[in-house]
Amino acid sequence: MEKSLKTNKQKFKRLEKMIEHGDRPWQGLLIIIAISVILLMAAIGYMLWKDSSQSRVLFGIRFLLPTSDPSWDPVNDDFQAWPFIFGTLLTSLAAIVIALPISLGIGIFLAELCPHWLRTPLNWLVELLAAIPSVIYGLWGIFVFLPKVVAPVGAGLATTFANIPILDQLFKGPMPASGSSRLAASLILTIMIIPTISAISRDVFLAIPASQREAALALGATRWEMIYQVLIPYGLSGILGALILGLGRALGETMAVTMVIGNSIESSVSLLRPGYTMASIIANEFAEAVSKLHSSSLIEIGLVLFFLTLLLNSLARLLVWNVARKTRMEVRA
Amino acid sequence: MRKNLIVTIFVLLIAAMALSACGQASATTEAAPATVEPDAPAATASLAPGSVQINGAGATFPLPVYTAWTYAYQYVDPSVAINYQGIGSGGGKKGIIDNTIDFAGSDSLLSEEDYTNGGDLQMYPMLAGAVVPVYNISFAKAAPDGTTLPALVLDRQTLVDIYNGVVNKWNDAKIVALNPGLDGYLPDATITAVHRSDGSGTTEIFTKALTSFSPDWTAGGASSVEWPVDKAGNGMGGKGNQGVAAAVISTPNSIGYVELSYAISNKMSMVSLVNKAGTTVVANADSVASDMSDFANAFDAKLTATIVDGGGTNSWPITGYTYIILHTTSMTDCVKAQKIVEFLKWALTDEAAGKQAAGLGYSVLPAAIRDQVLAKLGEVTCSGTPVLK
Repeated sequence: MEKSLKTNKQKFKRLEKMIEHGDRPWQGLLIIIAISVILLMAAIGYMLWKDSSQSRVLFGIRFLLPTSDPSWDPVNDDFQAWPFIFGTLLTSLAAIVIALPISLGIGIFLAELCPHWLRTPLNWLVELLAAIPSVIYGLWGIFVFLPKVVAPVGAGLATTFANIPILDQLFKGPMPASGSSRLAASLILTIMIIPTISAISRDVFLAIPASQREAALALGATRWEMIYQVLIPYGLSGILGALILGLGRALGETMAVTMVIGNSIESSVSLLRPGYTMASIIANEFAEAVSKLHSSSLIEIGLVLFFLTLLLNSLARLLVWNVARKTRMEVRA
Repeated sequence: MRKNLIVTIFVLLIAAMALSACGQASATTEAAPATVEPDAPAATASLAPGSVQINGAGATFPLPVYTAWTYAYQYVDPSVAINYQGIGSGGGKKGIIDNTIDFAGSDSLLSEEDYTNGGDLQMYPMLAGAVVPVYNISFAKAAPDGTTLPALVLDRQTLVDIYNGVVNKWNDAKIVALNPGLDGYLPDATITAVHRSDGSGTTEIFTKALTSFSPDWTAGGASSVEWPVDKAGNGMGGKGNQGVAAAVISTPNSIGYVELSYAISNKMSMVSLVNKAGTTVVANADSVASDMSDFANAFDAKLTATIVDGGGTNSWPITGYTYIILHTTSMTDCVKAQKIVEFLKWALTDEAAGKQAAGLGYSVLPAAIRDQVLAKLGEVTCSGTPVLK
C-alpha cells in the first residue's frame, strides 16, 4: 500500500512535469487537429469509393472514356461520364485562360500604377467581388449577362472563326438564342475567379522588395520593362499559386454554372453550345436519382471530380516547385 | 504549482461524478413513461400547445400547399406542430424507409425494393397536379390591332415529335395543320425544347405522359431521362420550374413544360392539347378532375395509379398524383400516429383546406377517390389498435 502510493506519487510528478509548461498538451492538440484534416479527406475519399462501387464494377473504364455518342440514360441504367468531365475541363480551362491576363493586369495596376486615392476603394471592390454568392452571379447571368453580352459575342465568334480549321469546331454555332452555353459558363467563371487571382497577385507584387524595382530603374529600365522583366519573374511562383486557387474554384463551382450552361448532354465540343459539368449533374440529379445505379454513377462522378481536383492541384504544385527551382536565388520571392 | 494540479484533478473528478449521476437520472426519467405508454392515446385531450412534433419531408411539388395546410392546422389542433421540408421525393422516400421522418411526400412511386426495406409502407394520394407545356414564339407578323392570337394547339403525337427533335420548326406542316388560326403567323424558326435539368416529379409526369402518347417516345418515363432532343442539338435544361420558365421566357421560339400553378402565376402562354378523346382541352382544375375520375377504379392494393392520358372527353392528359407515405403498423408513438392521420383526414375532407389547395393551383381529389383514400387511412394501426376512431 505504502509502496504503491509512493510510485503513484512519482508518476504524478512525471505527469506534472510533462504538462507543466503547456507545450506538450498544446502540441498534442495541434497534431490532432492537423491529423483530423487528413482523416477527413480520407473519409470523404473512402465514402465516394465505397458508394460508387456498383457503377465502377458494372461500367469499368467505359464510364470515363471519351466518346462521341455519350449515354446518360437513367431509365435504362446506362451511364457515361465523359460529357461532364469534358464540360468541367473545358469551362474551367477557358475561364483560367481568359482570367489570367485580366487578373494580372488588375494586380499590377493595384500594386504599381494605381493613384493613392483610388487604391483603397478599388482594393475593397475587388475583394467584395469575391464575396458575392454564386447564385447571385447565376441570376445576373440569366437575366442580364447572357442576353446582353454572351449571345451577341457568341454570334460574332461563330462567324469570325467559321473558316479556320480547328477553331471552327470550338466555336461552332448556332448558339441558343438565350445565350446558355459553355461559353456563358466560362465567362461567369472568369468573373468569379478574377477577384481571387488579382487579389493574390497584387499581394505578391506588394511583397517584392523596393530594392528590386529601384535596381531595375537605376539600370535604365522603363516602368513597363521593370514590370515584365523583374516583377513578374520574381513573383511567378506566387502568381501560379493564385492560379491554382482560381482553378480550384472554377472546377468545383456548381450553382452559377448550372444556371447558365444549358444542362444539355451534347456530343459537340463547341464552346457556343449548351453543355454540362460534373458538379452540375450531381446537384441536378442526386436528390431525385431514379435508381441505385443512377445514384452510384453520380457518386462516381463525385469521385472523379475529387481525384481530378487532387491531380490538378498536385500538378500545379509541381509546377510551382519547378519554377521556384529554376528562378535564381537572388530573384526569388 | 502542485497544489493547483491536485485541486484541478479533484474538481475534474467531482465534475465527472456529477455528470455520470446526471446520465443515470435522465435514463430513469426516460424509462418511466415507457412503462405507462402503449394504450394511452386517450390522454391526448390535455396536450400542451405544440407538444406533438411531426416531421415530414419529401417532394417539393406539393410544398406550397403543405406549408399552407400545416400553418392552418395549428388553429385546428394547437397541440400539433408539423414541419414539412421539401427535399425531393427521393430524399423523402429514403427518410421514411430509414425512419428518420414521420411521413414522406412523394410524386414518384415506391419500388418493390423500397416496400421490402420499409416493411409496412403505404402510399396515399393527396392531390393531383397538372403539367402544362408553355411556349414563347416570335410570330412572323404581329396580330391585327385589337385582336389576340389563339393559343397554340398541339396533339399528343406532335408533342412527342417535338421532344424527339423530329418536328423542329414552328412552321412544320403538322403544327400548321393543327393551328388554322395561326396560319401565316408561325415562323420558320427552330424549336428549342426546354426540359428540367434536375430530377423531378414534374418530369416524371411529363415523360410518363409522352410514353403513353406515342410508341415513338422511347426514352421512358422517370424523374430524369435521356432527352432525344438534346442529342438532336435543340434541347436545353433549366433547373427547377423557375429555371425552365426563365429559359422559355428568354429564348425566342422555345417550348417547355412547368407545373400548372407555376404557369398560371407567371402568366405564361399555355399550349392546348388534343386529348385521347379528340377534344382540345386547356389545363385547369376541371380538366384535371375529369382525368382523375377516368382512373377512379385504377388503384392497386397500394393505392397508386398512373393517371396520364385519360380517355374522358374533357380530361387533361398530363396529370399525376402527389402522395403521402406512412408506416401503417409500426409507428411506435401512438399519440403522434393519431395526430398524423387526423391531419391527413382534415386535409382531405376540410372545405377550407380544399379551397387553399385549389387557390394554389392544385386539384383536390374527387369524392369517389377521396373515400378510397380515407378508407385506407382508417387501416393505420398503432400497437395493434386503429388510430382513427
